Amino acid sequence: MMAVQERSAFRAVNPALVGVVVLLVVFGSVMVRSAVSGMTAGDALFQRHLLGLTIGLIPLVVAWSIDYRKLQGWVGPLLLLDAFLIISPKIPGLGASAKGAQSWLQIGDIRLFQPSEPAKLVTIVIMAAIIAQYQCSIDRPKDLFKILGMLGIPLGLILLQPDLGTGLVFVAITLGMLLVGGLTPRWFLILGAAGLLLVGALLGSNTGLNRALQRGDYDPAYVAAKASGSQAALDAVDDTSVLIKRYQMNRLLVFVDPTRDPSGAGYNLEQSKIAIGSGELSGKGLKSGTQGNLNFLPERHTDFIFSVLGEEFGFLGALALLALYLALLVTALEIATSSRDLFGALIAVGIISMWTFQILENIGMTIGLMPITGIPLPFMSFGSSFMVTNMAAVGMLLSVWTRRYS
Amino acid sequence: MPTFRERLKPRFAILGVVVLAVLGLLLFRLWTMQVLSGEEFSARADDNRIREVTTIAPRGRILDRKGRELVTNRPTMAVLASRSVAEDQRVLSKLSALLDMPVPELKDRISSVKEAALASRVIAIDVPMETVAYLSEHETEFPGVEVATRSVRRYPYGQLAAHLLGYTGEISEDQLAQQDFQGYDPTDVVGKSGAESSFESVLQGDRGLRRLEVDASGSPQKIISETEPESGRDVVLTIDARVQKVTEQALAQAIKDAHGDKYYKAKAGAAIAIDVRTGEVLAMASAPTYDPTVFLGGVSEKEWRSLNSTDSEFPLTNRAIQAQYPAASTFKAMTGLAGLQYGMTRQWATYTCQGRWTGMGEQWGKYCWNHAGHGTETLMDGFSDSCDTVFYEIGYDFYKDKGEKLQKFARSFGYGQLTGIELGGEAAGRVPDAAWKKSYNENYPEYQRWLPGDTVNIAIGQGDLLVTPLQVVASYAGIANKGKVMKPHVLRKVLGSDGKTVLGPTKEVAFAPKVSKKNLDIVDGALARVTTIGTGQGAFRGFAIPVTGKTGTAEVSGKDDYAWFAGYAPSNKPKYAVVVVVEQGGHGGAVAGPAARQMLASLLGQPVEHVTAQDSSR
Repeated sequence: MMAVQERSAFRAVNPALVGVVVLLVVFGSVMVRSAVSGMTAGDALFQRHLLGLTIGLIPLVVAWSIDYRKLQGWVGPLLLLDAFLIISPKIPGLGASAKGAQSWLQIGDIRLFQPSEPAKLVTIVIMAAIIAQYQCSIDRPKDLFKILGMLGIPLGLILLQPDLGTGLVFVAITLGMLLVGGLTPRWFLILGAAGLLLVGALLGSNTGLNRALQRGDYDPAYVAAKASGSQAALDAVDDTSVLIKRYQMNRLLVFVDPTRDPSGAGYNLEQSKIAIGSGELSGKGLKSGTQGNLNFLPERHTDFIFSVLGEEFGFLGALALLALYLALLVTALEIATSSRDLFGALIAVGIISMWTFQILENIGMTIGLMPITGIPLPFMSFGSSFMVTNMAAVGMLLSVWTRRYS
Repeated sequence: MPTFRERLKPRFAILGVVVLAVLGLLLFRLWTMQVLSGEEFSARADDNRIREVTTIAPRGRILDRKGRELVTNRPTMAVLASRSVAEDQRVLSKLSALLDMPVPELKDRISSVKEAALASRVIAIDVPMETVAYLSEHETEFPGVEVATRSVRRYPYGQLAAHLLGYTGEISEDQLAQQDFQGYDPTDVVGKSGAESSFESVLQGDRGLRRLEVDASGSPQKIISETEPESGRDVVLTIDARVQKVTEQALAQAIKDAHGDKYYKAKAGAAIAIDVRTGEVLAMASAPTYDPTVFLGGVSEKEWRSLNSTDSEFPLTNRAIQAQYPAASTFKAMTGLAGLQYGMTRQWATYTCQGRWTGMGEQWGKYCWNHAGHGTETLMDGFSDSCDTVFYEIGYDFYKDKGEKLQKFARSFGYGQLTGIELGGEAAGRVPDAAWKKSYNENYPEYQRWLPGDTVNIAIGQGDLLVTPLQVVASYAGIANKGKVMKPHVLRKVLGSDGKTVLGPTKEVAFAPKVSKKNLDIVDGALARVTTIGTGQGAFRGFAIPVTGKTGTAEVSGKDDYAWFAGYAPSNKPKYAVVVVVEQGGHGGAVAGPAARQMLASLLGQPVEHVTAQDSSR
C-alpha cells in the first residue's frame, strides 16, 4: 500500500520540472541579490523578491490542484476575465502608470500587480480551448479567422495600453499553439506575409493619422517643444502620436542603430552590451560587476538582470542559465507530449512559447539582437507579478502532468 | 493510445527545433561577445569606470649665477570652468559679474583653445577670498565651475630679464602635436619663450597620476592607484641679477639720453654683457620690456593685442637676439682685421680723407661722416676717428680682389649665422654677397649685379649687411679672446632634486676664425684708442679701467640713426664684452657708450655713474 502511494505521489509530481524551477529561482535570487546590493533600498527590494516567490507558491498549488480540463468549457467567462485584467489599469481608481504605459493595478496607495501578467496565462487557456476544437487540423480560412479573431480581443486591448511587448508575447503564444494545433505550413507563410504587411501599414497609417489629426510631429505645440530642445517642455506637451509613441519609435530606431542616441535609449543597450561582453569567459565574480555596481546598467534587477549575470559570471554563467532553460523547456515539452488530451498539450505548448519568446526577447535585447521592450526574464527578473505568473504556469504544467493517465 | 499524439509528434519536433534554435542563437551571440570580443568590452567597461586625474608637479625654479631666485612658484586660488560653461549663458553672466570679466572674454578663456581638453580650464587666478567663499556656498548655481589651488610663476625681481627668462602659458594645439611635447596634457602650463621655453624639458616636472573608480554619475568611489608628482628641476642661469639690473637701467637711461639729444623717436634697444673666455651671458636686456605676470592664468585678448602692436614696439621681441640692424662702424673692426689678414692694409698705412671719397670715380663719390675731411689718416687713426674713407678704400680693395674675402672673414667670426645660444627665435643676420644679391632680386634683373659700392658699404657696416646685437658682442669677445669666439649661452647648470648639480657649466668654441695674433693685437690696440682719444672718449672719460671698443651710428632709411657701442674691458686682460644698441637713438658715442660704461662698471666692480658725452661721428 505504502509503496503504491509513494509511487503515485512521485508520479504526480514531475521531479525534473520542479528541480529545474528550483535551480532557476535560486539562480535568479542570487542575481537579484547581487544586482540590488548597491542600491539604497536594496535589502527591502530583495525581501520583496523573496516575498513574491513565496506568494507565488499559492497560485502554483491552486493551478496544480485545478483540473485543467474543466477550464475548456469556460471560454466565455475567461474572455471576460482576460479583458478585465487588461483594461483594469485604465479604470480610474484602479490603475497606475509606469514608464509611459498604464500597466499597474492599484487600490488606494497599494500597488497590487501588473494584470497583463496573469492575462498571458488566461489567454493561453482561451487559445488552447479554441484551437483544441479543430482536432489537429486547421486548414479552413474560416477556422483560422475565428482563432485569430479570438486572439484579437486581448491583443487589441493590450495594444491600446499601449504595451507592445506583451502584445508580442500574445502573438508568440498563439503562433506556437497554431504550430502544434495543426495549422498547415501554407497558412504560416500567409500569416508571415500578412504580418509584414501589417507592420508596414501600421507605420504608414501612423504617419497618415498623425498628419490627419495633427498629432505628434504634426502637432504645432509638440514641434515647438521639440525645437526648444528642452526635455521638460517636451514632457509637458507629451507625445500625441496616434498609434506608435515617440519612445516606442526611439527604441526601434536605436535597435537598428545603437549609436543613434548614446545618452538616451541607446545608452541602455550600449551599457548592457559592455557589461555582458566584459564578463568574458568566467565573469568578474559575484557582486564584483563594475557596470552594475557603479550604476552604468539601468534597470539592472528587472529587465537587465541578464546583463548582471553576464558580467559577473561570464560566458560560463550564461551557458549554465541557457542549459537550465533548455532543461525547463524540454521538460515542458515532455509534459506536452505526455498530455492525455490536445487541450492539455496546447496549454503546455502555450507556456513553452511564452517562455521561449520571453527568453529570446529579454536576453536578445541585452545583447542587441532584439529591440528593447520591457519584457522580463522568466524566473530571473525581479518583479513579483511576473514571478507569480510564472509560478502559476508551473502549476498548470504540473496539472497537465499529474492528470496524464486519469 | 489516442491518435492525436502520433499526429503531433513531428510538430513537437518542430517546436523543439525552434527552442533549440533560439537558445543556440543566443549562445552563439554570447560566445562572440564574451569570448571573442571580451577584451574589447572589458576595455570599454574600464573606460567607463576609471578616471585618470593628473596632479600637477611644481615647475622648477630659475636662479641667477649667484643663486638668487629669478622665477619661482606661488600658490593661488584659481577658478576653473569646464567646456560646458561656455554654452551656459546664465552661468556665464553670473561668473562675469563675480570675476569682473566681460562675457566674451570669459567665453574665450573657456573655449578658445583645444577641443581635446576635457579637463576644466583656469579662467581666473588670484581670486579674492570672498569670491571663493561665494562660489563654494553657491556651488549648485555654478555647474561646471570649481575653485582649486594652483601653482603659478612668481617673479621676485618683477620684470627683470623678462625677455631672457620668458613667460609661461597653457600649451598650444601646435605644441601638443610636436614630438617634444609627447605625453603632455592639454591643460599643462609650459614655457612659451626665453629660458622657460628653452629649458622646458628640465623645468617641467613629472605629473602625478591618480586613477579613480567612478560611478555612472562620475562621483569617485575609490582610488585604484596613485603616483606622486615629481617637481621640475631648478635651472641656474649665467646671468647676474645685479648686472642685469644695471644693464636694464643703463639701456633705459640711454633711451632717455637720446631724447635729450633730440632723438625723440628712440624707444627700443638692446644690451648684452658676456664673459669673453666662456661665452656666458651675464646680462641681456631688450627694450621695451613687458610684464610676464600678465600671462599668468591666461592672457586676455586685449593684452595680447597690445603686446603685438606697432604702437607698443613689440615688447615681446627679444631684440638682443632677434633684431637685425646695420652694424655701422662697429663692423669696422671686422673690415680692419680682414684687411690686415688679407694684406689689403697695414697698421701704419696712410689714407687721405677729404670728406668726399671718389675712389670708384667722380660720379660715385661717397662722403665720410666728417664732411670736412680727416686729412691724413693711418689705419689706427681710422679706428679712433671712425674715418669712413679709410674703410672705403679697404672695402674697394676687397671688391677689386673679387674673392668676397671680406664676407667670408665676417662669416668666420659668426656673422650671417646663428650663434647657437639656447634661446629660441635667434636671427641669423645677413652678410650679403653676389649670389645673395642675385637671388634676392630675382624679379629685378637690373639690380642683380654686385657693384663696387656693395662691398664698400659692407666695409663701413652699412648696405645690405644685417647683424644681431648678440653677433656683435660675440665677435668683439672673440677679438678679446685671441680669436676664439665662444658660444654665447645662458645655462650655467641644472640642479637635481637634492640641490646638487646634475649638469655642469659648458664652454664651447662657436667660431674659430683664421686670424693672426699680430693682426688681432693691431686692431685691439687701435680699438683701445677709441675710448681715450677717439669717438668714445666722452663716454669713458675718467673710467678707472681701460676699455677697448668701437662706437657706431647706423643709418636706416626712413628712420633716425641707430646708436651702437661694442667693446670689452679691461683692455690689457679682457674679461667682459658688452654691446649696446638704441634704435633711432642717434650717435653711438653719445648714447650707447655711456650705457656700456655703466654695464662695465657694474661688471668690474666700479661705481656705476651716468655720464653725458658728445659724439657726431658715425
